Amino acid sequence: MHHNPILIENLSYTYPDGIQALKGVDLKIAANERVALVGANGSGKSTLLHHLNGILLPQAGKISIGEYPMERKYLKDIRNFVGLVFQNPDDQLFMPTVWEDIAFGCMNQGLAGEELNQRCYQSLLAVGLEPNEFRQRNTNNLSGGEKKRVAIAGVLAMSPQILVFDEPSAQLDPYSRRQLIHLLQSLPLTQLIATHDLDLVLELCQRTIVLSQGKVVYDGSTEKVLGDREFLEYHHLELPLSYSRPYCLVADAPNQL
Amino acid sequence: MVLLHIGAFHLDIDSQHQTFWHSLTPQTRLLCAMLLLLAIVVTPNGHWLTWGVYAIAILAVLLVSKITLVVLIQRLAVEFGFVGVILLGTLFREGGEVLWEWGVLKVTTTGLTILGSVTLKSLLSLILLNILTLTTSIPALLQALVILKMPPLLVAILASMYRYIDVLIAEFNSMYRAAVSRNLLNHRRWQRLVLGNAIGSLFIRTYERGERVHQAMLARGYQGLPPIQKLPTVRQRDVVILTLTLLFALFGQIIYFI
Repeated sequence: MHHNPILIENLSYTYPDGIQALKGVDLKIAANERVALVGANGSGKSTLLHHLNGILLPQAGKISIGEYPMERKYLKDIRNFVGLVFQNPDDQLFMPTVWEDIAFGCMNQGLAGEELNQRCYQSLLAVGLEPNEFRQRNTNNLSGGEKKRVAIAGVLAMSPQILVFDEPSAQLDPYSRRQLIHLLQSLPLTQLIATHDLDLVLELCQRTIVLSQGKVVYDGSTEKVLGDREFLEYHHLELPLSYSRPYCLVADAPNQL
Repeated sequence: MVLLHIGAFHLDIDSQHQTFWHSLTPQTRLLCAMLLLLAIVVTPNGHWLTWGVYAIAILAVLLVSKITLVVLIQRLAVEFGFVGVILLGTLFREGGEVLWEWGVLKVTTTGLTILGSVTLKSLLSLILLNILTLTTSIPALLQALVILKMPPLLVAILASMYRYIDVLIAEFNSMYRAAVSRNLLNHRRWQRLVLGNAIGSLFIRTYERGERVHQAMLARGYQGLPPIQKLPTVRQRDVVILTLTLLFALFGQIIYFI
C-alpha cells in the first residue's frame, strides 16, 4: 500500500456558472487513516470528492493519488486506486442484477472467469450479504440498506486502496446505519467519509476535516472540533447529538454528580 | 412493447420453468422468434394458409413453454388496444366489391381482406413476442442481443432504460403524490398544468440522473463500452431448432406454390 495515498495542493475549482466551489484546498491523507470530511451544504464536499476519482480534473493546483499525478493518461489507474461510493445507490446500481453490477468494475479492469467470480463472491460476503441469495436479485427490488451494501460491494470488488464515501449513512434506518458503521470499521482500507452524520464521525474517525465555503477551515482531531460549539455553528454545523444532550441515561452520568 | 407493462414490472414471470423451450439459449429463442416474426410479416395479404402453418408453430411453443395463459391474454388485451386504432384505418380501403356504404365510408372486400390479414399478422406477432418476454428475462434478452452482434452501446442504452424506468416511475409517482397532498385535484385545468410541469421536471431530473450515473460508471473504470460477459454455450439442440424454424418459415411461404 502506498504510504501517502492522497496528496492535494492548493486545489481550486470553479463551476461553469461561475460559482467557486473550492478555494486553495491543501490535504494529505496517510495510508490506513479514516478521515471524515464535514461541512454544510454547498461547502464543496462533493466537488472535492469528485476530484479524487478524476471525474473532475483540477483547474488549479495539484493532486496526486498514490504515485499517479492527476492527469488524463493515469485516469484508469487512479480509478482502480480510488473507490468512490456515491450518495444515492440508485445512481450507482445501473446493471439489472446484483451480480452483474458488482462485476461491472472488475470487468472494466479486464477480469474474467473464476477470478471475477471470486471477487464478486468475496465482496458480497464482505458487506454481509449472502452471495447465493443475492446474486440474481434485481437491483430495483432491494431495500435501501441492501442497495447501499451492494453499491459498496461493487466498489470493493475492484480492490481499491482508498475508499471514498459520499454521505454513506444518508437515508438509512438506524439498524442499517449501525451495520454500515460496523462494516466501515471492519474494512482495512484508507477511508475518506464525507457526511453530515457527526455522530458517525465521532464513532469512526480520529481525524476530521471541516470544509466551509470551499476552504479547509479545520484539519485535526475529531473530538476537539466536534466539541467546539461556537466553531461548528459559525460554519453552519452543530454539535453531534451525543454531545449536545449528555447523560440522557442516568447510568451514563459521572459518579460525582 | 415492454413499456406497456410498466405498471406490473415483473415481465418474465415464466422464465424459471424447466421445459425444452427454456433449455434453449436466449439467443436461439430470440432468433427463432425473429425469424418467425419476419416470416409472418412478409406474408402477402390473404395467404391464410401460411398463417395457419405459423399458428401451429406458435401453438406448439405456447404448449411446450407452459406459460401462464391468463397473463398472456391480459397482455394481449392491453396491446391490442393500441393496435386496434391502426387496424380500424385499414378497413376503409378502396378496391374490390363494395359491401357496405355510409357517406364517405365504404367497406369493401379488399378492405376486409387487409383488415383480416393485418389483424392476424399482429395477433400472431404479439403472441410470439409475449411468449418470448414471458419466458426470457430482460437481462438474458439483452445478453442475447450482444451475442447476435447488436452494437454494445445500443444494448447498454436498452439495459439502462430497463434499469431506470422503475426509478423514473417511482419518481413521477412521488412527485404526483406530493402534488396531490397539496390538493392538486381542485381544478382540471390546474391539474393538467401541474402534470405538464411534473413531466418537464422529470425530464430534467432524468438528464441529471443520467449524468450522475455516467459519473458512477466512470468511477468504476468505464471506458465507453460495456464489458462483455461470459456467454452461454450453444448446444446441438439450439442449432436443430433454429434450422427447423427456418425450414418451417420457408415451408409456410411456399405452401401456395405447391
